[in-house]
Amino acid sequence: MAILEVKNIRKSFGNIEVLKGIDFSLEEGQVLSIIGSSGSGKTTLLRCLNFLETPDAGEIIVKGETLFNSADPTTKSESQIRQKRLHFGLVFQSFNLFPQYTALENVLLAPKLTGKNNLEGRAKELFEQIGLADRMNNYPHQLSGGQQQRVAIARALILQPDILCFDEPTSALDPELTGEVLKVIRKLSESNMTMIIVTHEMEFARDVASHVIFMDGGEICEQGEPKELFANPKKERTRQFLAHY
Amino acid sequence: MELILRQLPIVINALNEGFVQTLKLFSITLLGAFPLGLLIAFGSLSRIRLISFVTKFIIWIIRGTPLMIQLLIVYYFPGLVLHKPIWGGGESGRFLAASIAFIINYSCYFSEIYRGGIQSVPVGQQEAGLVLGMTKWQIFTHVTLLQMIKRIVPPISNEIITLVKDTALARIIALQEVIWAGQAFMKGSHGISGAIWPLFFTAFYYLVFNGIVTVMLAWFERKLDYFR
Ligand SMILES: Nc1ncnc2c1ncn2[C@@H]1O[C@H](COP(=O)(O)OP(=O)(O)OP(=O)(O)O)[C@@H](O)[C@H]1O
Ligand SMILES: [Mg+2]
Repeated sequence: MAILEVKNIRKSFGNIEVLKGIDFSLEEGQVLSIIGSSGSGKTTLLRCLNFLETPDAGEIIVKGETLFNSADPTTKSESQIRQKRLHFGLVFQSFNLFPQYTALENVLLAPKLTGKNNLEGRAKELFEQIGLADRMNNYPHQLSGGQQQRVAIARALILQPDILCFDEPTSALDPELTGEVLKVIRKLSESNMTMIIVTHEMEFARDVASHVIFMDGGEICEQGEPKELFANPKKERTRQFLAHY
Repeated sequence: MELILRQLPIVINALNEGFVQTLKLFSITLLGAFPLGLLIAFGSLSRIRLISFVTKFIIWIIRGTPLMIQLLIVYYFPGLVLHKPIWGGGESGRFLAASIAFIINYSCYFSEIYRGGIQSVPVGQQEAGLVLGMTKWQIFTHVTLLQMIKRIVPPISNEIITLVKDTALARIIALQEVIWAGQAFMKGSHGISGAIWPLFFTAFYYLVFNGIVTVMLAWFERKLDYFR
């Protein structure tokens, strides 16, 4: 059974339709890469999955449980959403670490507030995993962008989401810092973490993803195996887009 | 000069007494206006149009008129309408009326500073909190609040230093604060009359107190230097 099913997600801002009916599904342990030109709706799609935007139509189903159904208003209440969004984690392009807390406190804040204590040990393991065991007690402004992004990944992981989403995790980084972040994501894929990665790093998408979706104008234009899609795009739009890389 | 030296202990005593009243008004205004200002800031940020409109209207009135007039209105208006004084005649009644006028006035000024502070925290902070499953209130108290405080310390410091001097306005309803006590020596008080120097001398109180306040605020600002 699919871990995630997305059905006919639609979203408009004012009278601009940004998502025009998105359907896809994801198996456990799969890594989905979403590519597409600027303004095609990739961020909006991730924000819908994480309940930062409410879709106008559609369904989001995780492990058979309907988290969102536009036809069922009970799935839209705030307290419900707070529980349900924890199926997803989101790593932002701009990290969004909390500046007044150390890296370790950033990772532990949400679990503490939601009553999950005694995660210090787990947090330290995560810092080992992201290669920042010696920087746990630094404040965000004392860390490089790449280090901050790795902390943001740990902060998402400690809540054990079923699906971890990344919105261009390396776009705000200097080129020499992207590698360390991509390495962490690559390791996660090897440990069978289910992930959705919006990225402009085509090479990385080809290597790490098990499935690629090319979005264009709010729709899925083409999808498939990364090697196939990158080597033999079927649609003209995909070809044009890939020609830029 | 000899005369002044003889008058000095008496004057200092009286001015000290007046300054206690000044300090009380200063403290109670801060104590009241800090939280009330936050409430008003939430009001002006409310997504419910009516609430934000009414709040902004009130802020406009309060910031658009002199505090001195507000003091007079709070002190005299209820009596004119109800035909009996509600504050009682004495010093405690005047203090209560002055406190209310000052708290209302200063919370409106604070609220605008708070609003700017809240709005200057990037939305990404709130979104990060939401995605991590925090409630809006948890996000405000554990994420936004301290970042907001850090940003508003300089403008709030300005207001606090202005407040120290604004307390003198309470003299208009005869609150016996330090300037009132100094002025009393002109007409006659504690056996001294026709002396104007005690009034000038009150400036020294404000100066010293503002010095202390400035040092404390700078210390607080430095305390928040540990993050950006
Ligand atoms: N809150 C909003 N209000 C109005 N329009 C919005 C809002 N958010 C996004 N849009 C619009 O929706 C469209 C899709 O935006 P989105 O951010 O999802 O694109 P994207 O694929 O992530 O682009 P990029 O590669 O530049 O990040 C854009 O035209 C954008 O201007
Ligand atoms: Mg985007």
